[in-house]
Amino acid sequence: MKLLVFVLNKEEMLEEVLEAYVEAGVGGATILDSEGMGRFLAYEVPLFAGFKAFMKGNKPYNKTIISVIRRDEVVDRLKALVDEVVGGLDNPGTGIMFTIPVDWSTGLVREEEEV
Amino acid sequence: MANLRGHLAETGAAVGIPAAGKEDAIRRLVGLLGNDAAIADADALVEAVLEREFLSPTGVGEGCALPHAHSNAVAELRIAVATLATGVDFGGPDGKPARLVVLMVGPESSAGLHLKLLAKLARLLHDPSFRAKALAAPDGKALANLFLSRDT
Repeated sequence: MKLLVFVLNKEEMLEEVLEAYVEAGVGGATILDSEGMGRFLAYEVPLFAGFKAFMKGNKPYNKTIISVIRRDEVVDRLKALVDEVVGGLDNPGTGIMFTIPVDWSTGLVREEEEV
Repeated sequence: MANLRGHLAETGAAVGIPAAGKEDAIRRLVGLLGNDAAIADADALVEAVLEREFLSPTGVGEGCALPHAHSNAVAELRIAVATLATGVDFGGPDGKPARLVVLMVGPESSAGLHLKLLAKLARLLHDPSFRAKALAAPDGKALANLFLSRDT
């Protein structure tokens, strides 16, 4: 079992990304509004205001999608589908996806009830 | 880790310097950089730092300020440090005038290093014991070496 974290920089693609989640077999996820460290420092901390110019072209806000994944193959399927949707996660600024091992959980949708 | 050595010289620090206001303080700190070969135009550096101040103040509170700017009037990143004889308003969030001022200038091409050193200097200035030692430094050499002692 793994916790899958995906920071999606292209917020406008959230709908398509979630469709990919469903297609890959992810039974549920939590979507958080988030923002990059660069934006926060440049716009919220006066000392770093001089770095606003270096933010040009960067996405100030993003969505962070967290989900507990029971089977590893779901991650593989999802990675391939999300790559298609966002145009390749290897491209800088697209998003960051990683997993962390989960050794215990409760409250998840039962496996037999997952779509 | 980004280090101050190579950017801050012993001659780039001074204690108890008089300053009539923010602009004067910045001009005197740029003056501490002296005849450094990296500096093409000291007046342009002062203007760049003042322009950056206009964007938003660089007072970080507790009597400290970190005026800085990117400018191609300097070929390499340079830092000057001074304690002022009397505090100068740098717009710190707590309203306290700044007596410990660190100036950093560097070319636009060194933005990454500039950001790391700015963050490091802000961390040092947020440390009460470091601030107390800096304000008690007997001369510029001791002040510079205090900052340099925090390199890794």
